[in-house]
Amino acid sequence: MKDRSTEVTLKISSDMQFLPLAMSFAEAAAKTFGLEKTDALKLTLACEETFAYICAISKEARPLVMEATNNLYYVQVQFLFNATSFDPRAFNLTAQVSPDDEKGLDEIGLIIASRSVERFQIFHGPEGIGLVLIKEKSYPPMLEIRSPESKPLKDFTIITPDPGTLKLLSGQIVRSYPERFYPQDFGLPGKLADMVASGEYGAAVAVGKEGGTGGGIIWRQLREKMVEVFGPYLFDQPSPSSMAERLINTVIEGLAKTDRLFLVIMHATPELPVGYFEPLGTIDVFRTDPSPMTITVYCRQLKEDPGSAVWAHPDLEDFLKKEYRRLYFARHIKPTVNAGEARPEHSVFAARFVKAQSAATLNAIWDGIDAPDNLEHHIRTLKDEGMMNIFFEIDLAYAWQANLTPVLLQKGFIPRVILPYAGDGDIVLFQYREGP
Amino acid sequence: MFVVPLNRLVPDYIKKFEAYIPSKPDPELMKLYGCDRLYRLNNNENPLGPPPKAQEIIRCFPPPRAGLYPSGDSYYMRQRLAEAYGMDPDQFLFGNGANEVIAFVIKAFCQEGDNIVTTDKTFAVYEWVATFSGFEAKLVPLRDFGFDDQGMLDAIDERTKILFVCNPNNPTGTYWNEARLRNFLDAIAGRQIIVIDEAYCEFVEKDDYPDGMKLIGEYPNLVIFRTFSKMFGLAGLRIGYLVGNLEVVDVIRRTCVVYSVNTVAQDAALAAIDDVDHIYRTRELINTEKGYLKKELEGLKLEMQIGEGCFIMVKLPMSDTLAYRKFMTEGVMIRSMTGFRFPNWIRVSIGKHEAMEAFIAALKKILPA
Repeated sequence: MKDRSTEVTLKISSDMQFLPLAMSFAEAAAKTFGLEKTDALKLTLACEETFAYICAISKEARPLVMEATNNLYYVQVQFLFNATSFDPRAFNLTAQVSPDDEKGLDEIGLIIASRSVERFQIFHGPEGIGLVLIKEKSYPPMLEIRSPESKPLKDFTIITPDPGTLKLLSGQIVRSYPERFYPQDFGLPGKLADMVASGEYGAAVAVGKEGGTGGGIIWRQLREKMVEVFGPYLFDQPSPSSMAERLINTVIEGLAKTDRLFLVIMHATPELPVGYFEPLGTIDVFRTDPSPMTITVYCRQLKEDPGSAVWAHPDLEDFLKKEYRRLYFARHIKPTVNAGEARPEHSVFAARFVKAQSAATLNAIWDGIDAPDNLEHHIRTLKDEGMMNIFFEIDLAYAWQANLTPVLLQKGFIPRVILPYAGDGDIVLFQYREGP
Repeated sequence: MFVVPLNRLVPDYIKKFEAYIPSKPDPELMKLYGCDRLYRLNNNENPLGPPPKAQEIIRCFPPPRAGLYPSGDSYYMRQRLAEAYGMDPDQFLFGNGANEVIAFVIKAFCQEGDNIVTTDKTFAVYEWVATFSGFEAKLVPLRDFGFDDQGMLDAIDERTKILFVCNPNNPTGTYWNEARLRNFLDAIAGRQIIVIDEAYCEFVEKDDYPDGMKLIGEYPNLVIFRTFSKMFGLAGLRIGYLVGNLEVVDVIRRTCVVYSVNTVAQDAALAAIDDVDHIYRTRELINTEKGYLKKELEGLKLEMQIGEGCFIMVKLPMSDTLAYRKFMTEGVMIRSMTGFRFPNWIRVSIGKHEAMEAFIAALKKILPA
């Protein structure tokens, strides 16, 4: 997975006099990086809303960096600024531009900006606070599935596919598998080719002596230490076949000496070879169908587990003990509760959502006494936005995050899956149980 | 407080490099995994430990000598080895384990844009040192579990400086016989440095196994690595060495860190080197226990790779990293092989019979029904 992105940067300050410049920058970058006119306009409007929002919550004009990045299949604009001069509450998804302003009461600042883009994220890192807007490019649908018939391959080699082979792979996947086995994007041949060309995704295919493709596998970096794998996809191959194992081995061997710690699979195909992945747990995926689809999250560690310590609120301890025992993870569980110590008044939750999956994931940036109300507001807002799959992650490296457990349980979340080392420690993924 | 501008200070090849995290000490692991004893079968150590004379040296080491620097270049060891192999003492360079001499060689011959050639599934340190020193490591896939000589020759380009061959290979136990090694050296014709890592040479009893020491006179570009960590059981003291042509070693000496081998290690190694009986006893134990494991693993219908050396490989019908965790709960520590690019394989060091029985018992317990 090579980084082939290009980026441009604009350094300004959070002052409304820079608004026209910020908009021009966003529009020019969007068009230069290949967004169609309508999509470029949507991204520009989202940037306008975001910039105006940042200016509105600034106590004074502060340095702000806009970075526009071309990732081939999408354009990303990131606003990065030091958080010290801002009221941290403003970075809740549910924050209002001005509580004293009647108009402001009707509009929740960041939500407006997020409506025009496919992916939206607020993050807090060592370099400051960041808001990320991602607008994906439009690709023509696959008019007809035109991919050569596959033949059983006795002898095959695993290769990195060129763009033409990737586009054929798109057709083969759509022809051979129901939708639940692949993300929608894989059904757009040009998009799949660009996703791999961007370096965010990797792919390998099994080809025979005559060049026919018998199978494929796709992967992408999902988090700093985690890689998500899609497939393996086999096309008209005999059963059993060593092809699936060879494809999985290609991914594992390619990542074995990198800093990635584990692979996850959420769209496991029936061809996933037995004995390569462990079932971590299940989550329910709500779509437009009345009943949710339960999917199993599979994982494979790439390194020997050194064991670690985690914080656990008593309300989560039984779940953790049971799961760690089932999964053979050596963890020293340290108990923690809020014991009347001084806490900040206001909590801050970060959000990232992916519209195509109708999914939003929250995590806590700062603890605060108002966490129950804040969470309630977030749930309501996300439901109003039509999000059918709402998740909350807590990082067990931090006692204060573990202490959010009773709030999450009280507001209708249930713990579903432990993702080992997915954050600074293990992450517990909670799911909002009421669904849409 | 200053913020260190790491992004500017750190070279790109270091940013991309993943640090190796060694396992925690046994008491910490036993606490974490809830076991009351732990058989370490992950580092290919000699189950008999050091030879008796070396043990005596360690036992009787006078504490005041710890206050003095050791011989900076392992003077007496070099004299002793030179005498034994009929060479010049200056043909030998010692390091804090053979790992250190790998770095000496790479630093001596590689500069920006250069590369080394080795295989993808071998002792990882050749690749690591090259990579975190900013040089490309060209990795040629193993063929039938062995080093692919033609593949390595094909991988050479005008910037290739060193080729590393682990003979016998860790972890597969395969080796090049003398004819094959000579053919390889002839094909290289002195254009690159060839390192033959013979860390496990004392375990090999095959007649056609080459003694690299004897080839140095004919091939001045040949550098041999040896260690006291395996057969001689001094892994905890860290002492290894390289040997080669006088002019070549003179170049490598310029990058050699002196005083890095401590006094106990030098004295113990000197006492260990002549103990032929220790070698025979170790070989006997290794052969016996390999036979035991082979029989048991055949009974379990598991694929295995048993070659030379004090270790074997086993393919499991489960993730090797999951197997590692399950073995740990049973008090047995194996090496998962995903890190060697052998997914679902494990490497098991040969231990005393009690440890081998514990391994087999744990294996039977953790295998899927």
